[in-house]
Amino acid sequence: MLEGGKIDTWQAVFLNVIMVSATALLGAPAIMVAQAGQDGWLSALLATMLGLPIAWITVKLSSLYPGQTLIQYLDDILGRWPGKALGLLYLLYFTHITSIMVREYGSFLVDVFLIGTPITVVNAMGLIISAYIIKLGLEVLARSNQLFFPWVIGSLVLTFLLVIPEMDLARVQPVLEAGGLQIFKGSLAPLAWYGEIIAFAMVIPFLAKPGEAGKIVILTFIILGLIFFLLVVVGLAVFGPGLANMNYPILNVTRVISLSRVIERPEPLIMTVWVTGGLFKVTFFYYIIVLGSAQLLQLKSYRPLVLPVGAILAALSLNVSASTLQMFSFLAHYWPFYALFTFEFGFPVALLGIALIKNRGNKSK
Amino acid sequence: MAFFSRRRKKTGPADAKPNTRDSGQGSKKQIAQSLLLSPDLDENLRFLKQSFADCSDVVFREFLFAQREQIKLALVYVDGLTNKSQLSDQVMRALSLEIPAATDNTVITKANALHYVKMRGLCIHQVKETENLQEAVEAILSGDSILLVDGHATAVINGSRGWEARSIEESQTQGVVRGPRESFVETLRTNTSLVRRKIKNKDLKIESLTLGEVTRTDIAVAYIKGIVNEDLVTEVKQRLTRIKIDGILESGYIEELIRDNPLSMFPTVGHTDRPDRVAANLLEGRVAIFVDGTPMVLTVPHFFVEAIQTPEDYYEQALFTSFVRLLRIGSLLIALTLPSLYVAIISFHQEMLPTPLLLSIAAQREAVPFPVFVEALLMEIAFEIIREAGIRLPRQVGQAISIVAALIVGQAAVQAGLVAGATIIVVALTAMASFVVYYSGSLAFRLLRFPLMFLAASFGLFGLIAGLIVIVVHMTSLRSFGVPYLAPIGPLVPGDLKDSIVRAPWWAMIKRPHLVGQNNPVREASGMRPKPPQTTAQKGGDADAGRRQN
Repeated sequence: MLEGGKIDTWQAVFLNVIMVSATALLGAPAIMVAQAGQDGWLSALLATMLGLPIAWITVKLSSLYPGQTLIQYLDDILGRWPGKALGLLYLLYFTHITSIMVREYGSFLVDVFLIGTPITVVNAMGLIISAYIIKLGLEVLARSNQLFFPWVIGSLVLTFLLVIPEMDLARVQPVLEAGGLQIFKGSLAPLAWYGEIIAFAMVIPFLAKPGEAGKIVILTFIILGLIFFLLVVVGLAVFGPGLANMNYPILNVTRVISLSRVIERPEPLIMTVWVTGGLFKVTFFYYIIVLGSAQLLQLKSYRPLVLPVGAILAALSLNVSASTLQMFSFLAHYWPFYALFTFEFGFPVALLGIALIKNRGNKSK
Repeated sequence: MAFFSRRRKKTGPADAKPNTRDSGQGSKKQIAQSLLLSPDLDENLRFLKQSFADCSDVVFREFLFAQREQIKLALVYVDGLTNKSQLSDQVMRALSLEIPAATDNTVITKANALHYVKMRGLCIHQVKETENLQEAVEAILSGDSILLVDGHATAVINGSRGWEARSIEESQTQGVVRGPRESFVETLRTNTSLVRRKIKNKDLKIESLTLGEVTRTDIAVAYIKGIVNEDLVTEVKQRLTRIKIDGILESGYIEELIRDNPLSMFPTVGHTDRPDRVAANLLEGRVAIFVDGTPMVLTVPHFFVEAIQTPEDYYEQALFTSFVRLLRIGSLLIALTLPSLYVAIISFHQEMLPTPLLLSIAAQREAVPFPVFVEALLMEIAFEIIREAGIRLPRQVGQAISIVAALIVGQAAVQAGLVAGATIIVVALTAMASFVVYYSGSLAFRLLRFPLMFLAASFGLFGLIAGLIVIVVHMTSLRSFGVPYLAPIGPLVPGDLKDSIVRAPWWAMIKRPHLVGQNNPVREASGMRPKPPQTTAQKGGDADAGRRQN
């Protein structure tokens, strides 16, 4: 066994929520509003509904192959070499999106707070911390994520509460102006975020109670649905559809906070909390890449891979896109199709189909 | 350290066995262990005198039993470690003068002298016989006196220990307003008796062992059978017997030798000088390790939350205690992060401050020649120097230090424009906050303040949060005797939160902390929440009803 740790149900829920929502905090509301206008919040709800089947497939596949991670049961479903090939593709995909995440947070910090600091330094610093957490194992990752989770959620709730004086729900009206197609288009990007739940398939075997995986994803989706919904509604109520033109709309929401001249512009504090969330998200994916590679190569320990993978991520994060704007454009227009049709939805559906047919064949014998 | 190399060469079963009673003088060890007492008193004395050559504090006193010429006795003890008046009254007077009056003169002979000595003559409570010379030597060294009887190959060990010791005083390190005042002293037996007096139960077990090849320090491992997890006791004893060291002068030696993460700054072994704290820990299923020669008793496993718990928390009312606990957590956070937060906000995030405050700080800092980081660092270092001086300095010059600290470092530095007033306030608040919690619990935070300040000066709040994440992750990875150090917060043990950040009233703390007390989880009967007596309540209700009708 490569990983000796066990994580309990709530730790897994918190990991999943952080895994999906941390980066969505930054840019997702703007992407939704850009497509659906004032009806962006409907896109958020629709994405939650559409995301559930992906989660169901993830859980179902794991329940067919208990005790095995995604990379391991690919071999069982597709056979040795095709399984290894798809496993490699999955790892490359995870590496790609993880480097985007690192870049996203690095850009966020360098664009807004640490102006003039080289992005290399920021990315490297985050990855070094992630590497340290991974060296300590999944259990430590889950526990420390559990410790920071209330702060991440708390800061969001606090932001929403403090910004109430600036809100005007009239800005969300008129409802359903955009029309069904626009709302659906707006829901594709958040759906791709929800689709990251496929990474959960890598840690289901390490749950203390693997039978509760279904319950975990349901809880995750309830919390995530609320977060996405509130992000869009609050963003819209403060800024209206103009939100679509902002890079970091929720950051701008925190900027208008001013409470009796004591709490003014708390965005650096809130930034720190989000960066924490982002760091745990990166760590989680980084861990999955390392663990998956070790399983693909059938190593005895994943720890020798931590630093090499970190170096690859750091280098890739600098070259994954030419600029912040290019990256956001990629996330809004290309990533949903790239991710959904292949690794997040397309492949899992095909895998489940093959697995079910194979299982039926086995039973009939 | 010749005997260490010799030990390594000989890996016989005798060495592998823990607690072999050896003298630490390698060459004599084998002979001494096999040596038995001889029936000849002079030969025994010759051996002892040879063993204790050049030990001027060992006293050899020969006298006659019941004033019979043919029956000689010898008393051997270490001057200063034994109660001399007890020896002269209850041993020497009793055996030489009072025995002839009490017994039939004709009966005593050389052959039955030992029986008479033990059963009729000695007026001492604890008496033990041994035929082993080595055991006799050890008894002498630990303060007992031995009595040798001519013609018998047996030494009588008298429990006559009595030495100059500090009396039981009020705890110096963990004071309380409400609660018992007593604290441990340097004598092991006194310390165990203080705990035994609180827990009058046969299940309180106090096992002894001796550690330290040269110092032969007595160690006692205490636990309550039936509450403690037996595996924990085994683990503690196993870790203790693994220790091979020349001397143990304080429990800190043991702490560093048995802890789980030897290089961590955070204490994963607790220590206290308060008997009530030890008793409470034992009742929760922990194990206490007493070390002779120090008032500091170790308790394992140790959790991080214990840094914000004091014995008084359980004596004072629950609501107030909960408030104080929150205050302590706030203080811990201030002690750790306030200087770095200050540095980060002043150098990177000025927009967070309300404008008047920002202007006021800017005006103060106008004349200051250093960046805020250097300024804060200098003041923090100055404060650490003052604190260290305060602990080490002779009592008589204490006032001088406070004058220097207050006037020169504080006031003059501000007037000279070297530091801003705001920096002084931040440093002073940090210093005060670090004293609010349990002293050893805050040591790590005192140290970690400095790297956090560096990070804050380089990366602003991002650096600060990065540092905090590393600290929290490190703490999450720590274990104390197999139990997660951050429990019950990480991993979350919801039932144990009742005695962590807040404290529930006693009637609500039905279960022991899960991770140490799961062997015997229920601590008290449920449903003890005080209610008004049924009868008076009815009467009161009736009276009210009557009044309403009127």
